[in-house]
Amino acid sequence: MMKDQSLRQSFLGPHSEDVFKASKIGFIGLGGGGSHIVQQWAHLGGGNFTIIDFDVIEATNLNRLVGATLEDVKNSELKTSIAKRVIKNINPDADVKVFNKPWQEVSDQLRDCDLIFGCVDSYQARRDLEIFCRRFLTPYIDIGMDVYEMENGYSISGQVIMSIPGSICMHCMQYLREDLLEKEAARYGDAGGKPQVVWPNGILASTAVGLAVQLLNPWHPNPPGSVYLEYDGVTNTINVSPRMEYLAHTQCHHFFNTEGMGDPFYLLRSKK
Amino acid sequence: MVADDMIDEITELFCDEAHVMEEAGITYLYLPDLHMPMGNNPPMQDALLSLNPRDGYPTRLFLSTPIPGKGSNWSIHNILGKSWHTISWNYVEFNGRLADVLANHLKAFA
Amino acid sequence: MKIAFKMTDRFLKIVRTDLNRRHPYAAERVGFIACTVTPLPNEGWIIMANEYHPVADEDYLNDWTVGAMMGPAAIRKALQIAYSSGKSMFHVHMHEHSGRPRFSKVDLSESQKFIPDFWNVQPDIPHGTLLLSHNEVVGMCWVPDQPIIQSVTDITITGSPLLRFWRNA
Repeated sequence: MMKDQSLRQSFLGPHSEDVFKASKIGFIGLGGGGSHIVQQWAHLGGGNFTIIDFDVIEATNLNRLVGATLEDVKNSELKTSIAKRVIKNINPDADVKVFNKPWQEVSDQLRDCDLIFGCVDSYQARRDLEIFCRRFLTPYIDIGMDVYEMENGYSISGQVIMSIPGSICMHCMQYLREDLLEKEAARYGDAGGKPQVVWPNGILASTAVGLAVQLLNPWHPNPPGSVYLEYDGVTNTINVSPRMEYLAHTQCHHFFNTEGMGDPFYLLRSKK
Repeated sequence: MVADDMIDEITELFCDEAHVMEEAGITYLYLPDLHMPMGNNPPMQDALLSLNPRDGYPTRLFLSTPIPGKGSNWSIHNILGKSWHTISWNYVEFNGRLADVLANHLKAFA
Repeated sequence: MKIAFKMTDRFLKIVRTDLNRRHPYAAERVGFIACTVTPLPNEGWIIMANEYHPVADEDYLNDWTVGAMMGPAAIRKALQIAYSSGKSMFHVHMHEHSGRPRFSKVDLSESQKFIPDFWNVQPDIPHGTLLLSHNEVVGMCWVPDQPIIQSVTDITITGSPLLRFWRNA
């Protein structure tokens, strides 16, 4: 018997409540994008959260960090605390594991996730996260946005990418490229105070959540596989990237010797 | 890519074991308990040496623990499922002798 | 204890294709999956399918009392794979129906005869057996230092959609 709060999403099927409750989801980065995703997943009935962010909220985050209050800023509250509060206020029974460290340091906690959302702010972090997800056969959904100054104003753009092991990856999609990683490394990770606003984050987060629901509990016979969606904040559209057209029959070769290999150091120890 | 005699030289000079490992097209040399130059704390730690170009670095040394006061622009990465720390110490080419590569990276911690 | 087993949908398709092949005299086919094994931080394991090794036609015994009976050569080859690769071995076979399959008494008694042998070559990691139906998967796992055979609690087929089979669902 479905709970009242799930009745309006009953079209997702009689087992959807169980799926959302039992699926273990990783949320990496709880800023503008991640905070949206966490809130939506809690509303869906998500029951098993692993939330990771080492940062505290600052005043400049308040324009977009869902669930954050002025009091949180005054208290330099951890972003994970804000996220946990949001989750628990919607679903008190949710199991929320909190890690206030860089995800790279606590990645063992992500090994058995059913899906990981990445809301990080560097290509390198995305690259490392995708490799990690491939290592543990975990689907990865990435979001991000950018604001660019142009001659006559600003352009807002963003992406939602779903990378499923066994299928094309962010390198295949050319979203991750060696030249971009090299340029970023040369800046020593200084992303600066990049412009960020709430509504594109909301659009991207909602799209990401929709992809996740389609993956875990499809309501239509043909859920998408690995996909690269591009957001244009000027025309207010999200479209499948034109690059996907060339990837229809591509087999990913970027994770040979990596996909599904688990912890290679454990294998090394056990071989001794 | 990594001949046995190169590995032997590494294990003679720098640490007791060395293992070739691969991830996403990059070859790494895993060096458990690498002896760091004198004055470093900890004096030994696990390390990874990447042997292919990655992020604009032809080779790069990653350590399991950052070392305060040594190197600059420390960054954290997740490689082979674990966290690793590295500095901005570039342009160490793999010119054929692995021991040279490692020695050149360790200069940053001298 | 959480014992999670994962494989890609492409891998499962390879396994099913092989198990569906007719055998000259055995009623069904069996195979072995070599898997990587990683411990989970709070007890438990994640086991991931890596390579599929069908049992060769000539390595079946001609035994009409059961669907398929492996000969000693089949088990020897599987032990060799475990020894040289350092991987966990999961025996796999299929029942011809839809819905949740159940291990028969014969399935379990036969598995008990050879699965623990894998500890002779790879002692510190779990080994086990998977059973497929047309649309579901279940598994049993022999875990070191555990006196009772464990159910594989979570089976995930990674693809789109993501297929999940929970032991207690």
